[in-house]
Amino acid sequence: MNCDELRPDYLLYVLGTLAEPERSEIQEHLSRGCANCAAGLSEARSLAFALGTAVDGPEPPKQLRSRVLAMASGNEKPKFSWFTALVTASATAIVVAGVAVNIFNNQASVTRAQVADLRSAMERSGAEAAAMREAMSLIQAPETREVSFGEGKPAPARGRVFAHPGGVLLIASSLPAPPAGKTYEMWIIRDGKPVPAGLFASDRQGNAFHLFRPQFAPLAKDVVAVTLEAAAGAKLPTTTPIIVAQL
Amino acid sequence: MHADVIISKALYFFGDGMLPLILAVLAHGDGDLLARLKKRDEKALAELYDRYGGIAYRLILRMVRDSGVAEDLVQETFMRVWNRVGGFDSDRGAIGPWLLAVARNRAIDYLRYQGRRAESTIELNETEHPALFADIGPDPLHFDLARRIQGGLAQLTPQQRESIELAYFEGMSQTEIAERMSQPLGTVKTWMRRALQQLREHVGGAKTA
Repeated sequence: MNCDELRPDYLLYVLGTLAEPERSEIQEHLSRGCANCAAGLSEARSLAFALGTAVDGPEPPKQLRSRVLAMASGNEKPKFSWFTALVTASATAIVVAGVAVNIFNNQASVTRAQVADLRSAMERSGAEAAAMREAMSLIQAPETREVSFGEGKPAPARGRVFAHPGGVLLIASSLPAPPAGKTYEMWIIRDGKPVPAGLFASDRQGNAFHLFRPQFAPLAKDVVAVTLEAAAGAKLPTTTPIIVAQL
Repeated sequence: MHADVIISKALYFFGDGMLPLILAVLAHGDGDLLARLKKRDEKALAELYDRYGGIAYRLILRMVRDSGVAEDLVQETFMRVWNRVGGFDSDRGAIGPWLLAVARNRAIDYLRYQGRRAESTIELNETEHPALFADIGPDPLHFDLARRIQGGLAQLTPQQRESIELAYFEGMSQTEIAERMSQPLGTVKTWMRRALQQLREHVGGAKTA
């Protein structure tokens, strides 16, 4: 397809909603440095912005401004939003498994009481809290890249991978219970060669949280995979990956 | 006062003639704002909120339809922008379009996990990297485009408008939209291409994609 044929699809592309094969066509144009498409996409981002500004509605509550500014200045810890709670729940799932399941299944319904439970659990569990702080720091770092996996796939496991030059964080839900004597092993696959990236367990509800600090910075071409292995781990994957996420 | 409020008040009192001057002033401020944000100037963050907080809130509220959630997501939006503004390679670029892309993605993220959306193939991070907004420039026509787009949307057929709204406000892929509207994918693609063509013509053709 030429640029003129693709032009009506630029807006949907920048919104991330364009279907195939047009999406790949535009990516192919961009990969060979197509100036027409690059300019068209910039203009489409302006149009997307204009669409957003055209929404009518009420003014935000006045205290929201204070919340935003207090958080930036460090006077207020980031609020336990639905997503933060999801992450936190993964780390403390063993302690508050019931809350974690609820959050994973219905993140929007996290109550203040549940958040308080989670905070309390974190405070009690020093090691987990330290890991959690490390994970939160990684998630919020400007250079961290975030990819989802499992969406739209028949296999149940789904979640996210956060890749930072100093670490790779995996958060998963709906992991099947490993058979006796088996555990999960994460891999970072570069140029087809898998590098072991640590063992981890899931809780009884199938939630898992694993932070690995590799000796090398993960690259966009790398793939994070998870396989079931013997409890002691393996040097190379021996089973079909349950999770595959292209960074 | 929010930028859009300033504009609407100015238009009310002075008419379209004042618009270029107002927008030029606002646009000039955007570039300076970006440089100050990169220096971690908290006053710049306050200005950013005053300029775009209301717009982000209304967009997110329109998408999630819950004021409490919308407040949380606005907070997340500004935190993400504050933490990642260094991703702009230079002091060029359009902070507003980037911020609104981040806001929209936070809302879509919420909708996905909240369960209103069954599945999705959209990779949000691909759409909000700051580098993507470096070449836009603080185009003063943005706000004028918004007014024109409202008129353009009103002229679409109900199916066209619904398909565009599902894509924008719910972040649905064309495949998902086809399923929701019980129409073949090809039909939905045709509707959307025609709708976007009409919108483009309505807002001035070559100025937009």
